[in-house]
Amino acid sequence: MSDAEDELSLLETLDHLLDRGVVIAGEAVVSIGDVDLLYLGLNVVLANVDAIIRTSQPKQIK
Amino acid sequence: MKLVVIGAHRERNDIEPVAEAIAVNDLWLSGMAVEESQPLGDRDLLLRVAKTRAALLDRATFVAIRYGFTAHGESDANAKCAAHLERWRRVLNEYRGMVEMTLKAAAAAPRARPDRHDFESGSAYIRALYKATRMTDVAPEFRKAVEDTLAPLAVKHRWSNRDTSSLEFAALVKREDVAAVNDAGAALKRDFPSVPFLLSGPWPLEVFADDHE
Repeated sequence: MSDAEDELSLLETLDHLLDRGVVIAGEAVVSIGDVDLLYLGLNVVLANVDAIIRTSQPKQIK
Repeated sequence: MKLVVIGAHRERNDIEPVAEAIAVNDLWLSGMAVEESQPLGDRDLLLRVAKTRAALLDRATFVAIRYGFTAHGESDANAKCAAHLERWRRVLNEYRGMVEMTLKAAAAAPRARPDRHDFESGSAYIRALYKATRMTDVAPEFRKAVEDTLAPLAVKHRWSNRDTSSLEFAALVKREDVAAVNDAGAALKRDFPSVPFLLSGPWPLEVFADDHE
């Protein structure tokens, strides 16, 4: 496998780790760099706008 | 110590000794125990979790938990996961011998991502972003080829718009069909050299873990 393919494979693996799978509501850690700044234990789901749009049904966007 | 949770599994033997296991009702969570002070954004931890995740999938199919969820023992894990257990039990039993494969393809005509500053309200921006994402599509002939070659190999498949520049085809496939899916991907590469796409997997239950159909 070439270096470029290795890098692509790693990026894809991290994309799946960080942006896929079941989100447990009420758990979020906000970090900058390697420092966890804020733990949120609220009963809400935090996500970026792209992720919300991806998982929303059309009727939810008004 | 805290457990950085990786997945939900049907059997304890599916986890140990690759990772640590804690019981949640009749199911099991896999994870890696780390010091309470360990930052979750640590690069080495991320890579170790990614490697362990792959090793766990080699043993048995599991429901992937998004990175960042931690538990402190059985009672904490049970309290946090109670609402999910029935669905996890169902998909783990139904999809036991299956894995996911994904094909991410570049959009035929990528749309410019809307600029927040062009909108007076957040809701108008969200609407525009939603519209731009939904209108993204791949070349029709490529989409048809994927439908003709990969979809028949899948137990279930789904297209999803991930952003304004790409589209993703996710397939739930039997483990024994992974090689055939990769062969079909190689054929697509030959037939559509100008379409940038990435076929990857196998992955644990990610897209189809939330299957409500």
